[in-house]
Amino acid sequence: MPIVELARAAKQCAAGEHLEIVATDPAFPEDVKAWCRKMSYELVSLHSADGEYRAVVGKTRRNP
Amino acid sequence: MSQSADEPGAGIKSAELAALRAQLLELQEKVAELSARAAPVDRLSMVVFSGSLDRQLAAFLIATAAAASGMEVVMFFTFWGLGALRDPSKRVKKTLRERLFGVMLPRGTRTLPLSQLNLGGLGPRLVRYIMAEQRVASLEELIDLAGELNVQIYACDMSRALLGIKMEELISYPHLGACGAATFVERAAGGKVSLFL
Repeated sequence: MPIVELARAAKQCAAGEHLEIVATDPAFPEDVKAWCRKMSYELVSLHSADGEYRAVVGKTRRNP
Repeated sequence: MSQSADEPGAGIKSAELAALRAQLLELQEKVAELSARAAPVDRLSMVVFSGSLDRQLAAFLIATAAAASGMEVVMFFTFWGLGALRDPSKRVKKTLRERLFGVMLPRGTRTLPLSQLNLGGLGPRLVRYIMAEQRVASLEELIDLAGELNVQIYACDMSRALLGIKMEELISYPHLGACGAATFVERAAGGKVSLFL
């Protein structure tokens, strides 16, 4: 449930902060893109290596 | 010079002003009418009808994903879906007929069959084993998560009466309530997405 974990962690973040998520869920790359669009977060980067995905998400002032 | 230019202009302006005023009133009325109709809320409404492990998993996976994506989520449990909400440790007084139904229906998430390939109970055990191996949350964990994410669960009044399921025998869930179909329909009508599982 990387997206639920991401949502939970994002709530604790302050505007301007970046959050790195490491996941193995094969749906994660598309899910994190969709989540960022839906929640208007900034997807700073998204990489994959050795079956692992790393995404960096930025919280902006618009985000709840 | 400037006065003679202004005077006819002022004449037109007052005629225009009256027209604009009429237009403004008309627009105000329209806006009031439209806002009374209210835009759909970012809400997911779900009817959870099925009492099988696979469908319950699908329901709670979608519900938690939607809640994590900032949506308000309402789940309406009806018919066989209610079996998943039963707490096997809670006992309540029932009539003979209610007790018969109670025995035939699943008592909680741990006793749910699969909708396909149940294989006499082997199917759900295999699914649970594979999910644990792949570190996917179990149905019980997903329900806890849904509670944490403020997912609202309603137990259908009519189904409960029909199947003899009491509110007192349902799980201790932080956002659990009972309601009728009309209440659910009204809530679903105001939301963006509705699903039937």
